[in-house]
Amino acid sequence: MAMTMTHSQPALVARHLSRSFGTGEALARVLRDVSLELEPGQVLLLMGPSGSGKSTLLAVLSGLLRPDSGAVFVLGEDLWRMSERARERFRLRHFGFIFQGFNLFPALTASEQLEMVVRWGEGTSRREARRRVAGMLDQLGLGRRAGLRADQLSGGEKQRVAVGRALLKQPRFCFADEPTGSLDWSHGEQVIRLLHSAAHDRGAVLFLVGHDPRLVPYADRVLHLADGQLVAEPASASEEVSP
Amino acid sequence: MPYSLTMIGREPRRYLPAVLAVAFSDLLITVQVGLLLGALAVLSLPIDHCAAEVWVASPEVLSIELGYPIPESLRGRLASLAAVVDTEPYLYGFSYWRKPRGGSEVCCVIGSRLEAGALGVVSDLTPQMRTLLTEPGAVVVDESERDRLGVPGVGGIAEVAGQRVRVVGLVQGLKSLGPPYVFCSLRTASLLQPLFRDYPQHTMYLLARCRNPEDAPAVARRLGRRSDLSAFTREEFSARTQLYWATRTEAGIGMGFTAFLSLLVGLVITSQTLYAATVASLREYAVLRALGIPRWRMAGLVMAQSFWVGLGGIGLALPLIFAMAAGGDSAGARVLLPPWLLAAGTGVTLAMALLSGLAALRSLRLVEPITLLR
Repeated sequence: MAMTMTHSQPALVARHLSRSFGTGEALARVLRDVSLELEPGQVLLLMGPSGSGKSTLLAVLSGLLRPDSGAVFVLGEDLWRMSERARERFRLRHFGFIFQGFNLFPALTASEQLEMVVRWGEGTSRREARRRVAGMLDQLGLGRRAGLRADQLSGGEKQRVAVGRALLKQPRFCFADEPTGSLDWSHGEQVIRLLHSAAHDRGAVLFLVGHDPRLVPYADRVLHLADGQLVAEPASASEEVSP
Repeated sequence: MPYSLTMIGREPRRYLPAVLAVAFSDLLITVQVGLLLGALAVLSLPIDHCAAEVWVASPEVLSIELGYPIPESLRGRLASLAAVVDTEPYLYGFSYWRKPRGGSEVCCVIGSRLEAGALGVVSDLTPQMRTLLTEPGAVVVDESERDRLGVPGVGGIAEVAGQRVRVVGLVQGLKSLGPPYVFCSLRTASLLQPLFRDYPQHTMYLLARCRNPEDAPAVARRLGRRSDLSAFTREEFSARTQLYWATRTEAGIGMGFTAFLSLLVGLVITSQTLYAATVASLREYAVLRALGIPRWRMAGLVMAQSFWVGLGGIGLALPLIFAMAAGGDSAGARVLLPPWLLAAGTGVTLAMALLSGLAALRSLRLVEPITLLR
């Protein structure tokens, strides 16, 4: 399949994605022929009402949910033609994830939550993992909280740990599903600023799903999804919007 | 410290049921088998407490109380072996003990030579007792059997197989699992055992001592080749007697079944606890899966947890095992805890814990990153 190159080489190209759930009368077509392109270093905010398919699109683009049809090319590779093991390795190398819940192991400290990812993911030694984790926690303003367990951290701190967990391996893509949904805006803004600067500083793509309009100023592009289709885009690149 | 151990250490309440289940299994298995060994050791007491190195018996004898009279003339052949320096007959058989105030009890009469260096006499008999036992009708019994035998103690009179007997001494630690042991001279034993009235010039066993104790197995093997008798070293005959009771009686089977049940209970509780602990962290595992961490890492964590839970349970059980053994001993129920039993209990329980970990791995099938997206 030929990929449309609009600006620089796109980091991610999605073509004609469709996904439905259920069968018969219960069939719900959640994504309908969605296409889009993401540039390196771009912060994209995907907005839309509940049930519009935002999370499903994130899951399909990030290799977590197979589409019924269509293709996703990431860094030139067809994500859904890879074997499951290869896709898992690809996610390990290139993808970071942040979810609405913090999802931290209650028994582990902030530092251990992050160490686990690099030690298990990359086979890094404990010493090297600790060095990298300490640097990351310092960047997140959590240096002094590194030894605290998840239940000893505030909501904002927990989400910053989750951000650290996603960014520690310096992924080319970071997928964030309602990352500020569980936080008040002061903490939420802190988190979104961290993600924004991480994306810009490292040239990573930040794919942000949310419905809070206060996120808009932090996005380079804003896409709207309604009834499974991208319906409008205030920024340019209208060619990526499904007809 | 590994994450598996960190999680257990920081959330002890979550893993406590599994640790207790493992401890319970280890405790029950080890103490049960220890009790069985203690009981079995009592059965072979007459063998273990005497100096005989080789036991010669009728063919195919499975246990000390299952012997059949053999001609005493075989003693000459036994004595003719170059490696053998001493031989003697040994009478062992059951009889009826009539209590002085009425009632009777089956007893086990053991007759042996009593001189210094005798092969069959139990080492618990003092020289004074041995001297007293040379009188016809003199017997020694275990102190704890007095009530059962209806005698007040030394000087007590009773009747065995129609012969008057007098208790001339009491020993400790020779309490039988079945009929009480009645120790006496060969002469007295031949009077007290009706079987030997029908088999004069016969003995139940022939005992031998070798010039070199290391020759005993070779002597036993050589004699054992004969079709008209069987022969064993002391250790072989002791083990044979114990094995017979362990495998052929319901006591051994019953204890084995109870030990198996305790393993099963431990397995189910441990497995369910580990399963629940994993399910409680499904969302955290799902994030790791989304980040590309392979599933085997999580499986490794669950297995490591099962290992630590097993080790913790065994660590908890060991002092309890020794305490229960001490309690059992003081209550009259002997619990033997040889190192191999402790090692086997540890091994079996640890294997059970690891098996629980394997069973708990099914929880990881529920780990799906897509469930994190709303």
